[in-house]
Parts: sequence; C-alpha cells; structure tokens
Amino acid sequence: MQEIKIILYLCNWGPHVAFQTLQDQDYLIPPEVKMVRIPCTGRISKALLFKAFEMGADGVALVGCQTGTCRYGRGTDNAAANTEDTRGILDLLGLGKERLRFAAFLPEDVEALKTFLFQFRDDLRRMTASPIRPGGATAAAPRPGKALAAILAEHHVSACQDCGKCTSACPLALSGKPYSPRGIVNSIITGKLATEAVIKEIWSCLTCGICFQRCPSQVDFPAFIRDLRAHVAGHDNGRGPAHGGFFQSLMRAMTAGGLQPQRWLDLPQDIEVNPHSKTLFFGGCAPYFDVFFRRHQTVKTAAVLTDSLRLLNFFDVKPALLSAEKCCGHDLLWSGDEANFLRLARLNTEMIRALGITEVITACPECYQTMAHDYAAHGIETGFNVKHIYEFLEHEIDKNAVAFKPFAGRLTYQDACRLNRSEHMRAFPRKLLQRLRPEGFSEMKESQNAALCCGNSAWTGCDAYSKALQVKRIRQAKETGSNLLLTSCPKCQIHLRCAMEDPFRGDELRMEMKDLTSVIAETICWE
Amino acid sequence: MTTQQTKKNCEVIITGFGGQGIVLAGRILGMAAALGDHKESTLVQSYGPESRGGACCAQVIISADVIQYPYVTIADVLVCMSQSAYQKYKEQLAQDGILIIDQDLVQTDGKRECFAIPATRMAEELGRKMMANIIILGFTTAVSQLISRKAAEEAVQSSVPKGTESMNIKAFTKGYEYGLSKLKGREKKAEGKSGAVA
Ligand code: SF4
Ligand code: SF4
Ligand code: SF4
Repeated sequence: MQEIKIILYLCNWGPHVAFQTLQDQDYLIPPEVKMVRIPCTGRISKALLFKAFEMGADGVALVGCQTGTCRYGRGTDNAAANTEDTRGILDLLGLGKERLRFAAFLPEDVEALKTFLFQFRDDLRRMTASPIRPGGATAAAPRPGKALAAILAEHHVSACQDCGKCTSACPLALSGKPYSPRGIVNSIITGKLATEAVIKEIWSCLTCGICFQRCPSQVDFPAFIRDLRAHVAGHDNGRGPAHGGFFQSLMRAMTAGGLQPQRWLDLPQDIEVNPHSKTLFFGGCAPYFDVFFRRHQTVKTAAVLTDSLRLLNFFDVKPALLSAEKCCGHDLLWSGDEANFLRLARLNTEMIRALGITEVITACPECYQTMAHDYAAHGIETGFNVKHIYEFLEHEIDKNAVAFKPFAGRLTYQDACRLNRSEHMRAFPRKLLQRLRPEGFSEMKESQNAALCCGNSAWTGCDAYSKALQVKRIRQAKETGSNLLLTSCPKCQIHLRCAMEDPFRGDELRMEMKDLTSVIAETICWE
Repeated sequence: MTTQQTKKNCEVIITGFGGQGIVLAGRILGMAAALGDHKESTLVQSYGPESRGGACCAQVIISADVIQYPYVTIADVLVCMSQSAYQKYKEQLAQDGILIIDQDLVQTDGKRECFAIPATRMAEELGRKMMANIIILGFTTAVSQLISRKAAEEAVQSSVPKGTESMNIKAFTKGYEYGLSKLKGREKKAEGKSGAVA
C-alpha cells in the first residue's frame, strides 16, 4: 500500500499537552501523521489548510482547544468555520470533505486525541490516495525559455514614446499609488528589472487594459505584465497573492489529471441538459468562490450559471456539461504560472474534444477571453468555437418573438475588463441592456473603454490603493442615481462587494448588485 | 386556423399605404402558390383614389381548383400595414381568420387575437425600410402556412430588383423565423412556460 500523508496542525496550547502526554507514555503516534505545531488554530487560514493538499497531503487535521478554552478568544470558532468552508471546496473539487477534519481537545483528553488520530488514519487508508501530487507537476514554474529580450520584442515595448498617457489614465496611479506603467517600461528597458521596486510594481498592475487603450504606440502593457510575471515568478510583491494564495493553490491542484471535480451535482431539477449535445456550457469557478466567501459576503455568483442554463433552455438549447470541468486557467496565466495554465488548458481542451463539442458557451468573461483567445495564443488548438452568452442571447433575442417584463430598477453597469478588450464584445451587454425595460439606465462617469476596474485581477495585488479605487467606482455608480449595479463578471461582484462591506464605512457604499444575465433570465418571456 | 389544409380555397387581403410594397407582396404570394406550390392563384389590386399614401390593397386567392371569381369578400388571412387599412378591412376577416399586423403601425380594437410583428422597424434595422413588405410576407408564410417557404423564397428572388435578392431573402428569413418563434412562444405559453425562470 502506498504510504499516506497526514498533516496535523496542532495548537500549542490545550491539545499539544495531550499530544505530548501520548508521546511521554510511549504511545506510537501513527507514523503517517506529520505534526506542525502552531500557536492558534484560528490563524490557520483556508489557504494554509488547502496548501497542504496542493502539496500532496491525503488528509489534514486541524486540532485546537475547545470552545471557551481558546487562549485568544475566537480561535476555535474561526478554525471550525475555516474548516467548514475548505471542506465545501474539497467536495466541489472531487477530493472529498472527509479528508479534512477539525477537532478540539482539553489538555487531559489524551485517550480521545489518540482515538481521533487512529480513526482518521484508518478512514484515510480506506480511501484512495489523493490524486494531487506535489513537485514539478504543480509547483509554479517560470515561463519555459522566454527571455526578457523576447518579451520586450513581442510587445513592442521599445516603441514607447515616453508620453505618459498610460500613467495619466491608470486607475491605480489615479488612486494615489506611487505607480507608473511608463516608469515600469522605462526601468525595464534600461535594465532595472531585478530591483525590488520594479518587481513590486509588476505584481500591482490590475491588467485592466486602460493604458493599452490610450497608448499611441500600441504597447499592450497588460500582456507585457503577464509575461513579465511569468518571467519573475517566484518573486512576488512581498505581500503574496490575495487570500494567501488560496485560489492559485486551488487552481494548481486542479492540474492533477486524476481529479474528478463534482461541478454540477446540485443543479436544479428544472434545468435540462443533454450529454450528447455538441454545444457545451462551461461554468467557470463561481461555485468555488461562493463557498470561499460565504461567511464574509452575500455573493451568489453561481446563480449566474443556473440562470445562463435556464436561458439556454428557454431558447431550446440543451447543452452538455463537463462534470470534471477544471478552471480555465485565467488566474494562473495572469499571475505568472504559465506552466500550470498550460496544464489546465490542455486538460479542458482534451475533455471537451473527447465529447465531440463544436461550440462552447460561457457566461464568464475570463473563461471567454481565455478559451477564445489565450488558449490559441499559447499554442493550444481547441478545435471548437467559444462564444460568450451575451452573443448567444443577442442573436436569439433579435431573431425571436420575445419580450421583457418591465423591471423595477434604475440601472447602471460595471464593464468587465475581459469583455472590454474588443469593441465587438463591449457592444453586446449594451445591446442587451437596451432591450430590457428598466425604469432607467445611466452609464457611470467612466464607462466602456474608459471603465474603471473592480479593483483586482487574478487575485493579485490587492491593497489600500485598489480599495480606494473600488470606493471611487462605487461612488460613481451611486452618482448615476441608480439603485442597481449590473455586473458581467463574478469577480466584479466579489471585489466590489468586498469594498461595500468594509465595516469602517458602514452602509455608505452599499448598493444592490446583480448580474446582467440573471436580470435577463428573470424578465424574458415569450411575446 | 383556416388554411389551405382544411379548405380548398384560401382568400387573402394584404393592405396598407401606397408605397409600402403591398401589391408586390401580394404578387409574390400568388406567384409562390402558382409556380412553386403548383396551385391556382389570382391577384386583384386596388388603390384608393390617393395612390401615394392612401389605402392600398392586394387580394389574393389560392386554390387547388380553378378560381371562378377573383375578388375577396370574406378573407381567411388579413395582413394590415396601416391603421386606416385595418379600419377599412377588419370586418372582412372571417370569424376564424388570421389577423396579421405591423405592431408599430396598427393598433387593433383588441376584439380578436392577432399575430403582430414590428416589420417596419425590423426593416429599418436591416437598413431598408422598403423591405417591410418582404419581412411581413415571411412572417405570414410562417404563421399561416399558406405557401411553402421554398416557393416563397423562389418567388422573392425572381420578383425583387436585380442585385437586392440576397438582402430580400435576409428580410424574408427574418420575418419567417420571427413567425416560427411566435408559434413556438404560443405553444410554450400554453404549456405554462412563459419565462426562463421557473
Ligand atoms: S502610453 Fe504607451 S507610449 Fe506613452 S508612455 Fe505609456 S507605454 Fe509609452
Ligand atoms: S493595466 Fe490598468 S492597472 Fe495596469 S498599468 Fe495599465 S491602467 Fe494601470
Ligand atoms: S478586493 Fe476583497 S475579495 Fe477582492 S481580492 Fe481584495 S480582499 Fe479579496
């Protein structure tokens, strides 16, 4: 039998005493258990719990003090909640929640701790080993063989005229951050890439693309940053990715071939799918986000997926679904892990091709941009067409005798950066908005190709300046006099909601948010 | 529905302003029935005294047998592209006849169900207001099933000015698909599925 690996995060205080007593009494701790002594279970974030699985653990136990005996007060409650959320993610991922357990013991609970450890070991032995294996297969690897000179040439960076249009439009610079895309370009051209300041800046960019829109020399700065990140992978901004790198870990874990995520288990009964269809609906990672944020935010981004499926059904399309669907790879691509992006892209492509799919429809702007453009740009021939649901909807609504129920709400709209890259895609949400019958619709002060970012991209570089940017954006939304902010991207919902729920600002920034697809699903009807 | 499937004879009135292409629509309808579907058909056209902008009317009869009298007294299908034409002809529609209107140009009295299409608006979106007649013809083909789609398309091709064939086929298809979707929508509503969310 292959040896299993169990990580035991053990609190220094109560249970460690019990653990030590076991050792003093010469009890044999199961040899599979690798103990990590920690000051408090409450500080073991979801990212740390999951990291163990990313690195190949078969089981993780978080063992702390009983409620009421936590030396720091709320540690135990935090730990229980983090465990619960991470277990939800393990289930979606197809790894199984039984692999992660939380338990609490008093210093004298020696027998109970012993039973717990043996029981956990025996349970894990009965399961198959985790398909996620550490090492080369999952660790972040630098861009294979792409030298700085090649990156500079590919993005015509030396065409920079030093005009500063990029910096004067960059939302990060405008929110007061000492940050300048022009400065980055200059430093790198003059050979200062390796300085700490420049590397920090590389990880700060939101890759929103406003600078590219403005640049007279067509320097595709976001793409340049993307490749630089792969080039300097391993050196981060000193703060690491947002949320302790949880999402990057999750996405890297998905590169394990044997993993069978359970993406579509709780699909509502009324939704019709057809496993033999040549059209596939690709969902994206929204369900994982909802589980991760369930205690902090009221986001329900997975509703966009069910609403999209209902709209497809409305127009008599019964799509296939990919039960073992993986992340499209967007966030890894944009946070410097090109090797694992490529693994995800290949896995998805192989699975989709094996079903004989000719068209993939998705409601996620990032999945759309990544699968429709970035797969091919990175040498992965998909052989299927990728369409955003807006394009599908606009076409069907235009052709069919459908109407919209009047909608009580004055709307404004947050552009998604990944749909905003082409005029063609930028137009679809607006065409659809015009078809709805809201009480009113007004654009924010900065919209379309000047639209402000929701404040984060690829879970990288979230800081006080991106927060300031979000506050500015939400104020712009409120200034339109609208009472409903429509979004297209699950991440816009998450990041903007995060700013709205800032406890120091009370209700000042609160505003109702909904996804455009959901509003269409709620109001569309046959004439 | 009274269509050619249940009755030997089908009598149609297409009406609107002068200049909307009413007579052309009637002629295409008749031609499609005769040349494509191999039936008998007749066309009688009448303009009001005010041939530009006044009421204009095309009467078409489609029949499996020889037609003895080409004037329509009671219509099985009435297509209206103007309010005044609707007022003038609405009483001539049979009890179980089909009423088809351009919804932006005609407001009905609401006494009977009708098939409505924004044909003129659609034609404007396609770039030519002139093609509203072809759009409404496509719509009529789908909802009344008076003539086959193939026959209708062939007749459109051979009747419109050279060089505009593909645009007119596009217009016809637009109306036809909209008509099919109307029928589908009615079915779905009857099943109690009017929206996307249960
Ligand atoms: S806008 Fe373009 S040309 Fe101008 S400074 Fe920025 S990168 Fe250089
Ligand atoms: S992509 Fe956006 S955040 Fe990054 S430099 Fe350009 S404007 Fe600034
Ligand atoms: S804005 Fe909030 S949700 Fe988004 S990355 Fe930053 S902390 Fe996380």
